[in-house]
Amino acid sequence: MIVDRKWLWPLLGGVALLQSAALFDMIYERHRLLKTGREITLAVRPLDPRDIFRGDYVTLGYDVSTITKPDAEMDQEYKDVAVDGNVYVTLSPKPEGGWTASHVGRVYPAHIDPGEIVLKGRVLTSWKSENPASTTLSVRYGIEQYFVPEGTGRALEAKVRDHKIEAIVAVSSDGTSALKGLVVDGERHEDPPLL
Amino acid sequence: MWSLYKKRLLRDLDRWQSNGWVSEQGRVAIADEILSSGRSLNLASALGILASVLFGFAAISFVAAHWDDMPRLARLLLLLTCVWAGYGAAGWLERRGHSMLADAAVLFSSGMFGASIMLVSQMYHIAGDPADGVLLWWIGTFVAGATLRSNPTLALTLILVCTWSFLKTSTSSYVHWPFLIGWGLVTVAFAWQRWWPGLHLSALALSLFIISLGYQLGSGHSHDLVAVIGVLAAVGAVAVEKFRPDLDHVAAPLFAYAVAVAFEGLFVLQFFENPVSGRLIILAVVTLVLLVAVIAYAMSAGNRGALWIAYIAFSIEVLALYGVTVGSILGTSVFFLIAALIVAALSYAALQLARRSSNGGLPA
Repeated sequence: MIVDRKWLWPLLGGVALLQSAALFDMIYERHRLLKTGREITLAVRPLDPRDIFRGDYVTLGYDVSTITKPDAEMDQEYKDVAVDGNVYVTLSPKPEGGWTASHVGRVYPAHIDPGEIVLKGRVLTSWKSENPASTTLSVRYGIEQYFVPEGTGRALEAKVRDHKIEAIVAVSSDGTSALKGLVVDGERHEDPPLL
Repeated sequence: MWSLYKKRLLRDLDRWQSNGWVSEQGRVAIADEILSSGRSLNLASALGILASVLFGFAAISFVAAHWDDMPRLARLLLLLTCVWAGYGAAGWLERRGHSMLADAAVLFSSGMFGASIMLVSQMYHIAGDPADGVLLWWIGTFVAGATLRSNPTLALTLILVCTWSFLKTSTSSYVHWPFLIGWGLVTVAFAWQRWWPGLHLSALALSLFIISLGYQLGSGHSHDLVAVIGVLAAVGAVAVEKFRPDLDHVAAPLFAYAVAVAFEGLFVLQFFENPVSGRLIILAVVTLVLLVAVIAYAMSAGNRGALWIAYIAFSIEVLALYGVTVGSILGTSVFFLIAALIVAALSYAALQLARRSSNGGLPA
């Protein structure tokens, strides 16, 4: 370290403050999102029942994680979606419960119905299939990992395999989503707020 | 490193004094100068840096364990206290003249900052991109390293920038150009600090980035681009050495890295891309001629690093050529023909060297 004596403590304090502020900003953003975001529940689809737990988190898949559209129904906005780019997926409630992706585009949609909600995600892959001709997008929303205490994964894994599991997700007005907790077998599992 | 140089210089001074080339006062003055100059790398500081690295890993594992007996808030406060305690210790140590130990303390705090980011990501189930967390980490570490002028922390920043890019490229098929921003910032800081090991680290990171371009651009077959960049950079370094001899200390290592990059590109073109035999022969001859030219130039310029890289590259090239040609259509005779041509060229280079070394070149 080569620091002028006069500036040593102010600089050290400044750096410590800045790093702390970055952390508090991260916490504040998440806290606000969880508090104020609109709450929805999404049915969880285990990606692979035997390999859901990698280390200390559960990997969750959703019905809207893969979106398939026949080429006949594809609009220009769907075609414009690029791999590795942002994507805004509009979810409409299904009459029998759950959600379906009713619109997909690169920008936040101009009009959404009161019951609908928009999720912001990133396109991982896009592939075309023939017969019937369709394009499938694989989308990540940032709500695919649920961290669990070391050693408690196995018990939850058994529950996931045998029972219906749902994710509680908070969605902000710009489409950012955060995982609040899980509903396992009708029982709500949620981390208590930090403060 | 420095103590090795000092030891050797002191030994030489004794010899020079006994030969009568250096006076008694001169010897004492020179010895005083070298013993007081520079920051010596002592065992305590080296162990301090190592301890900081271990503390960092301990904290990251602590976060990963997701230990439930301790409330989340307490875990966060513990890590934050560590961040502040590290900076406090750095100030205390710096005041007492233990500058290298102060560096270790700053490094410790930067590690704790990273562990805190991981903890917050875990607390709020932020799956997103692990790369986003590393981005925040390297920015925070860079600010600490540049503001407090701490070399080990800047080195950590460069490692984090590389990790960030690696995570980004592993989830997408595109070249991660923002790497160059992070790399540029850290390299400027290294240059400002005049820290040579750091600049070597920068050159190594950039070389790896250029090499990675060959595997990413043009659906993974742009190794010719890598070879061209390497050759152009080498020519550039030679030009700098010629026209700005005062920048020799920068140009010489650059030349060595450029040779390594060019060779990697040429090697992949020859042995991983399955060229037709005509193309392989042309590429092999080009590679061998370039390597002989590098050896000749490195000897005349006294560039030990480039010389070693060229020797190693030459050996690998000949072995790989032997491997593909023997038993294939080309047959062993072509291999021996090429080898003979190279050795003939080498003997010419050696002749040149013998002439140069009598004029004060580098002994082989």
